[in-house]
Amino acid sequence: MKISVEDVRYIAKLAKLSISFEQAQKMVKEFEGILTHFESIGRLDLGDAQPEPLERDSGTVLREDETSVFEDKKKLFLNTKSISDSYIEVPKIIE
Amino acid sequence: MSIHEMTAFEIRKGIVKRQFSARDVVTAFFDRIYEKEPLVDGFLTLCREEALTKAEQIDRKIQRGEQLGKLGGIPIAVKDNICTDGIRTTCASRMLHDFIPPYDATVVKRLKEADAVIIGKTNMDEFAMGSSTENSAFKNTKNPWDREIVPGGSSGGSAAVVSAGMAALALGSDTGGSIRQPAAFCGVVGLKPTYGLVSRFGLIAFGSSLDQIGPLAKNIKDSALALEAIQGKDKYDSTSVRHSITKDYMSTIESSVKGMKIGVPVEFFDSGLDEEIAFSIKGCIKKLKEIGAFVEDISLPITEEGLSAYYIISSAEASSNLGRFDGLRYGYRTKDYSSLDQLVERSRSEGFGEEVKRRIMLGTFALSSGYYDAYYSTAQKLRARIKEQFIKVFENYDILLSPVSPVLPFKIGEKVANPLEMYLSDIYTVNINLAGLPAISMPCGISNTGLPIGLQIIGPHFGEEKLFKAAYALEQELKPTAMHPML
Repeated sequence: MKISVEDVRYIAKLAKLSISFEQAQKMVKEFEGILTHFESIGRLDLGDAQPEPLERDSGTVLREDETSVFEDKKKLFLNTKSISDSYIEVPKIIE
Repeated sequence: MSIHEMTAFEIRKGIVKRQFSARDVVTAFFDRIYEKEPLVDGFLTLCREEALTKAEQIDRKIQRGEQLGKLGGIPIAVKDNICTDGIRTTCASRMLHDFIPPYDATVVKRLKEADAVIIGKTNMDEFAMGSSTENSAFKNTKNPWDREIVPGGSSGGSAAVVSAGMAALALGSDTGGSIRQPAAFCGVVGLKPTYGLVSRFGLIAFGSSLDQIGPLAKNIKDSALALEAIQGKDKYDSTSVRHSITKDYMSTIESSVKGMKIGVPVEFFDSGLDEEIAFSIKGCIKKLKEIGAFVEDISLPITEEGLSAYYIISSAEASSNLGRFDGLRYGYRTKDYSSLDQLVERSRSEGFGEEVKRRIMLGTFALSSGYYDAYYSTAQKLRARIKEQFIKVFENYDILLSPVSPVLPFKIGEKVANPLEMYLSDIYTVNINLAGLPAISMPCGISNTGLPIGLQIIGPHFGEEKLFKAAYALEQELKPTAMHPML
């Protein structure tokens, strides 16, 4: 399958990735090879095959919400970049 | 025999019989790690202090005459995409280089309940995407059999540390062969359980409908022992199952395979399979016939197309699962940004490695408007067809035999420049994940160049008991435990 640098950059944008023109050029070649291989599935006659949902236990897969006290609050904040009082500070997200 | 050479069973037995203490075991394994880890680079994090504390708890249990858990005192390494409370869990990615989970994955909780001793976290391909562990953001793990050779992937660190005697057991995860292929490359036993048998809660997701956690072990009995400890329903994973679970594999593992019906898919032996691997597997078929199994050729016609379906579905799921890494709440955040879009894009672009970005983009493409039907939808239909095909085959056969990899373990750097070639090396393992079946990879020979060769045994859904039975019988014939790398 033929694709262009613009196609690759558009997909990168959808995927929330920024790539340079040179990276996009390299990816065009790689993607063409991979997507050509993927096309093999289009040649199969799958007739009326239906994608099936994953098998699960009978009954609902949802469980009741349960609250519990997380004793070690420090542990919860270990991965945050910044804390102000008891709040997690994140970069400004409303512009 | 040194403690690090013992199997998990022998270690537990030795502790129970007070031949040595759990502390002796941990000390012996860390001595081995300090000596050999610089040669192998299998670990990302070591947990010596935590391991010694746990060992002392176990020794106190023994002194009090209390019953020891199933994995009592056994040193185990855990792949670094499985969350460990208070221990860094990186997925071998810059994105999570400083991530410390505030909770244990269910499998880790079960290991601890079974008195296992966690000794460290192992290297892997970033976010489990790869077949050689070369996609780790931190280091290249070397194959203990030949340090110029890859250990396989993505659970390459787990396979290498078991093979090198630096852990008695390890956990890995398998989305398209990531336990079985490194097990084959490093000469150990790797089990991918039936989808739903082992909880995925706390496993950092790659392809949620395909991922499954399983053990890497020195032999078949150790593998069964580890599965008994980690399997079972978990309310935090809605895809884990309550029914169809065999609780005890040990009572049947030594029973005869006489009369067992074994199918060999002819498509798995087409051109493209290394001749030495084919020769070794034919040797296994001969052995199984000699001990009374009934073996015949069968046909599984859509093997090759399954590889495409696998890469489409797993990449699509990865593009969705990895959407959560945005640099806002945790994980890597770029230093240089002036808008929200820029913050997210730059954090992701700097935090993810090349292969992860490639898979996210392939998945985004397969799900995008105009291509969804041709790629994702067709792949899902093909997946259903593959599953039907396997279920039909298992109406007449107990297990199937196949190679694990079409090629022998390859050199570090050999396939890095060609991603498609790397993907093609997964051809015999991915269909098993698409169908949700269990499969075990076990050593079955050594190549002329001195590298291990693996055999794959595939079973019906929840047919782990049959896998262990056949694999154990074959192991007794082949005696592969006598093979170990000269490090």
